[in-house]
Amino acid sequence: MKTSELAASLTAKFGGRILGVDEFPGLLGRVRFDPAIATELFRTFRDDLGFVHLSMVGATDWVDHREVFYALWSDTDRVYVMLSTNLPPDAPTVASAVPIWPSANAHEREAWDLVGVRFEGHPDLRRIFMPEGYAYHPLLRSFKIHEPEDLEVKVRSD
Amino acid sequence: MSGQTPVPPKAVGPPAAGGAIGDMPLEVIGQPGVPFVEIETLRAREFIPAAKEALSSLLKEQAEEKLIRPVFNWAGRNSLFPLHWGLACCAIEFAAAFGARWDAERFGVVPRSSPRQCDLLIVNGTVTWKVAHKLIALFEQMPEPKWAIAMGNCATGGGPFRTAYSVVPGVDKLIPVDIYIAGCPPRPENMLDGILQLERLIKERGE
Repeated sequence: MKTSELAASLTAKFGGRILGVDEFPGLLGRVRFDPAIATELFRTFRDDLGFVHLSMVGATDWVDHREVFYALWSDTDRVYVMLSTNLPPDAPTVASAVPIWPSANAHEREAWDLVGVRFEGHPDLRRIFMPEGYAYHPLLRSFKIHEPEDLEVKVRSD
Repeated sequence: MSGQTPVPPKAVGPPAAGGAIGDMPLEVIGQPGVPFVEIETLRAREFIPAAKEALSSLLKEQAEEKLIRPVFNWAGRNSLFPLHWGLACCAIEFAAAFGARWDAERFGVVPRSSPRQCDLLIVNGTVTWKVAHKLIALFEQMPEPKWAIAMGNCATGGGPFRTAYSVVPGVDKLIPVDIYIAGCPPRPENMLDGILQLERLIKERGE
């Protein structure tokens, strides 16, 4: 499968909700999509295109938006594809990939813990690195290191 | 006193008519007209039991100060039981100190597996905010008297991870620390030196 073929098949199914399919070195391509179609797109990739393995979910704070990206692996084509979506910083919410790929569980908890992206439909969206009750998402650009020095906030009391 | 005619006390203030002087209110004593003998008797009556009590409690205090506490201090400081709790690479040096080559047990230092059997917490490694409340819970479970050693740069001040969002910059933000051991990681000799310094500290403080 070529990147252009992938772009054609995705655009035929989702139309303008696919914001672009870019060439990317080492990958089949980088698919930018509207977060509203996340679940259908995931299901298409797993069931129709054969990307059975989700190897990574990550998130980045770009100040004016937050980007969530997914790396998928196809056993049949032996190729990776990257999915990417942009979320508004005031409501960074996207559908969870756990119902489609269970391996997304820990990755999405990490993205919630550190960057503050909420995944709708995640079965257990708890913090994974920082203690429960911690008030910040430390990989946001707005986070100041060691500020505030509030031990009550940082150490869980129970 | 002998040969004197006892002068009946004049009523000063509100003494009870016909009452013994022992029943007089204390404000009356020392007032003009109250006989000296009676006052002395009264004072002795009150003083002797109080003196006995004071003396026995003083003896008790002395015995505790001079005998019991030094013995407990000597016994405690020569049998420090640290908690067997490894956090990071310093725990390797901690473990090596109890091996054949350095043999910390010759100083009476025996690691125990339960905080309730311990009187020394050696924090050997990087403490993250996520493990911080567990560290506090372990320290609070230890019976008094108890001491803490911050072993290595991470426990002392965060070490190379001091500016990381997830690392406690110094374990003394969480628990009171008595001895800081520098090094990354400190060698077992350093750890033994820290324990001996702690023993000296315990002796000086008389805990």
